[in-house]
Amino acid sequence: MSALRRFWSNVLAVAYRETIVLRHDQAFIGAVLAQPVMMLLLFGYVLSNEPANVDWALLDWSRSDASRRLVADIQATGYFRPPRTVASYETGRALLRGGHALAFVVIPDRFAAQLERGRPRVQLLLDGSDPLSAARVGGYIVEVAASFTPRDQALARRGPPRLAPPPGPIDVRQRFRFNSTLRDRDFFLAALAGMLLTNVCLSVTALGLVGERESGTFEQMLAQPISSLEIVLGKLLPYVGVAYVILLVSTLATGLLFDVWPRGGIPTLAIATLPFVLASLGIGVFVSALARSSAQGVFISVFFIMPSFVLSGSMFPYQLMPHGVRELGGLFPLRWYQIALRRIIERGAGLSDVLGPMAALVALFVLLLALIRWRMSPRLG
Amino acid sequence: MSAPIIQTRELTRRFGDFTAVDRLTIAVEPGSIFAFLGANGSGKSTTIRMLIGLLRPTAGEIQVDGIDVIRHPRRVRDRIGYMGQKVSLYQGLSLRENVEFYAGLYGLAGDALERRWHELRERFALGDVEREKVEDLPAGIRQRAGLALSTLHRPRVLFLDEPTAGVDVRSRALFWERIQEEAENGVTVFVTTHFLEEVDFCDWVSFIDAGRLIANSPPEELRRQHSAGYRIAIEAPAGVREAVVRRLGEAGIVTAPRDGRLEARVPALDARVLDALGRLAREHADATVHVEQPAMTDVFRDVLAANGAAS
Amino acid sequence: MSWRRLRTLLQREVRATLRDPFTVTMLIAVPLGTLLAFGFVLSTEVKHLPLAVLDADGSPASRRLVADLTAKGIFDARLFPTRAAIDRALVAGDVSAALIIPPDFDRRRRAVANGEPAPEVQVIYDGAEAVLAGNAEGFLRSLIAANGVTLTEDVHGGGRVAVVTRALFNPRLDGVPYMVAGTFGFVLSFLTTLITAVSIVNERIAGTFEQLQVTPATSVEIFLGKILPLGVVFALDVGLMMLVAGFVLGVWPQGSVPFFLLVSSFYVLVSLALGLLFSATSATAAEAVQKTVLFSIPLVQLSGFAFPIRNMPAIVRWITEVFPATHYIRISRAIYIRAAGPVSLLPDLFFLVVFAGILLWLALRSIEARA
Repeated sequence: MSALRRFWSNVLAVAYRETIVLRHDQAFIGAVLAQPVMMLLLFGYVLSNEPANVDWALLDWSRSDASRRLVADIQATGYFRPPRTVASYETGRALLRGGHALAFVVIPDRFAAQLERGRPRVQLLLDGSDPLSAARVGGYIVEVAASFTPRDQALARRGPPRLAPPPGPIDVRQRFRFNSTLRDRDFFLAALAGMLLTNVCLSVTALGLVGERESGTFEQMLAQPISSLEIVLGKLLPYVGVAYVILLVSTLATGLLFDVWPRGGIPTLAIATLPFVLASLGIGVFVSALARSSAQGVFISVFFIMPSFVLSGSMFPYQLMPHGVRELGGLFPLRWYQIALRRIIERGAGLSDVLGPMAALVALFVLLLALIRWRMSPRLG
Repeated sequence: MSAPIIQTRELTRRFGDFTAVDRLTIAVEPGSIFAFLGANGSGKSTTIRMLIGLLRPTAGEIQVDGIDVIRHPRRVRDRIGYMGQKVSLYQGLSLRENVEFYAGLYGLAGDALERRWHELRERFALGDVEREKVEDLPAGIRQRAGLALSTLHRPRVLFLDEPTAGVDVRSRALFWERIQEEAENGVTVFVTTHFLEEVDFCDWVSFIDAGRLIANSPPEELRRQHSAGYRIAIEAPAGVREAVVRRLGEAGIVTAPRDGRLEARVPALDARVLDALGRLAREHADATVHVEQPAMTDVFRDVLAANGAAS
Repeated sequence: MSWRRLRTLLQREVRATLRDPFTVTMLIAVPLGTLLAFGFVLSTEVKHLPLAVLDADGSPASRRLVADLTAKGIFDARLFPTRAAIDRALVAGDVSAALIIPPDFDRRRRAVANGEPAPEVQVIYDGAEAVLAGNAEGFLRSLIAANGVTLTEDVHGGGRVAVVTRALFNPRLDGVPYMVAGTFGFVLSFLTTLITAVSIVNERIAGTFEQLQVTPATSVEIFLGKILPLGVVFALDVGLMMLVAGFVLGVWPQGSVPFFLLVSSFYVLVSLALGLLFSATSATAAEAVQKTVLFSIPLVQLSGFAFPIRNMPAIVRWITEVFPATHYIRISRAIYIRAAGPVSLLPDLFFLVVFAGILLWLALRSIEARA
């Protein structure tokens, strides 16, 4: 048997054994199944930056029809709860300070009169401690105010609030909808597969390999005529399979539940995933080589996963991060994968468009192999 | 005979449907070494944990040194020492630091601690390894250290759960010497083990099987009841044989020839037998006497069989 | 309770912890690393972001818009001739974002007075064709607002209401304080529970825990002996994080520092008790870690750390009120950014105290010797 064939047959033998072990590992199965479901629920239904249920305070000196209409218009956007009416400026500010209101609108007493003649000014105080929400909510109120007319003109509303493009200020966004949009959610869901795979590849390999080192079966394997490279590859192979299963499930789920399908096609997605899975598994192996106990292994991998989610650009756009931090995020495989994912899913990119990220992932994988070799060689004599 | 220092009555512990300890009634004399034997899973560890107040019984009573352990588990802690199956020394600390730690919990410090530890160090030959980190100590020394630590605060009762597990055969004997020393100093020792030969170091043996007590007597008594007895083999030159047979016959010992030797079986090595053998040795210097003790494994097997147990 | 026994227990705990290099590293590196990683994510201190601009209009108005954006130095605008060129630049990473000004920009702007829809200016990132994440959009909006650039045009004609906006507590709408305050909650919820659970499980496995239960040490002493040293370490961590956040990220607490430290220390106790409870139900250290992770990650996500609770569905909002982390993060933001005082925070403090009581009692029970 040629050396190459022997190599592969060894790898497959280890892989086969590993698969059997995995099938019986309840904790593994639980983790593999539980995590995707949990994250899907979280990102699909729960987590959002789209403002909702906003508490706001109102100080209406004017108490005119016009001011009441303005308030109603703000209400009609659907983002706000009924306002807390306050009697003084101080009370309103206190509400903001206490975190009981996100916005405080003060309508001056000459509002109605000013409306006829010129541009009445309304004061808006925002709670800046949650700047993203504040910015968006502030923006909505500004838009509503800007589209406000003295008389109830062609904005007669029947039924659910409809799109009324705001004249006046230039709209930074592409579209302004009064209905809650799905874009936040789609942003996360596009990267969901990446987050799930990072989770799986990292914690599972770290745990699995270290656990084996602890129980001594790793040494046992080394006693056989099989090289360490073959062992490692053999152990990783089943996880590649698991990763693809998760990819499939995740794609189906986000598609069926949220109508987010990869526009670029599933085959492209599948191919682009391979270097990412390899790189992530590589990190898992590296972590397992660093850790001296399985608890340590899981520990390290956990504290790798969280920054990975944040700095990769899956949750917050990486383009807007300062230099240094942005580059740091480039060390995480998830960064490149989520770039590829977004291109494929949202823009319908083909393979040629994601070659860049894929190349980066391959480079990371090679680097990791070198690191693993360096780290493991003194151990395995 | 003074009042028993450990006493249980109908001690029972159930885990759901499974009865781990079934109406156990035992009494331990002060200053004795009490062996509590049984296979793995027979209820040994459950029993000892109830005795030291780590586990609450489902039913029954426990008294240790006059204290109702079930109602006042905390009160016994000053008077008992415990060495668990896993020797509980803290890793990352040296042996000395472990000693200081446990001593502190028992209120032993300063000069009193110094003196006591000095004494224990000598007795248990731990002087060289005092400053070593616990994880660097070989298993045998760790075990010895565990035993030493359990006696640190001079408890009246020692509970040792499989103290010699993992210790090599030679060290085991040394271990038991230490234990017997404690007993000689008046400490009561309650020992669980599944090494049957160790029984002979003890004053009393009880067997537990599937939670039930199936034997409860001194080792000799068990041998008497559950074995074919001691086998005495005598090698004597031809001319002397008859005299030997006669001499033993006077003591009521029946001897028969077998395989070129004389063999006899006695239920126990009581005074009569020992006396006869002694006289034999004095009178016939050219005769060699081999005494074979019934193996405890055989005794145990017989006990189990007598109690209709499956193991 | 015996002070001598407690001192003995404390001494051992401190010694053992300090001698474990891994734990010490984790205790220092993780809080600081997390702080720095998360703190920079929403920073508005970005400067000179390469911005591709496609000005299809070319009017004075559109040119002024671009000039406004570049005036403060947040963006470096580069003009591109075609959409395709912009796409290429985005894909290649030459630019971070792109601004597309439609050809009818000026015309539409002036026609707004007649009720026509406003001109739409697109801002896009790589990989998100025409679909902006609301998050990023809000960020961009705050970025622009933070730099005093308004895209509001004075429109002729009556009847438009002008809004004078002011953001309190964080006028520049900088995202860093928000994340920093939240990170305290993340680290103190997550890391504390993790380390405690692992430590105790290891002790149970080694048998030293059982040995401890047989000594005269009472459950309270054992509990305190475990909790206090870790508690002190984490309290120091809080101080360290505060300093790093201040010197490196420029975020200092606006409210009372002693009050913040007090509440944080109290919350540390809560997390430590939770770690104890996790350890009581795990057989191995790895299992304890997995359990903690599985439980803590959604908990942290749901506690308002990165995503506002207000935006979540009603049922979930009720559920999050049960987590101590939610209340702590709320309190921590209130103190750090709004300089809120204890009085206004009473409801959340009350919850924390009650939960702490329950958790501490449960944790104490789990140490009790007898099953």
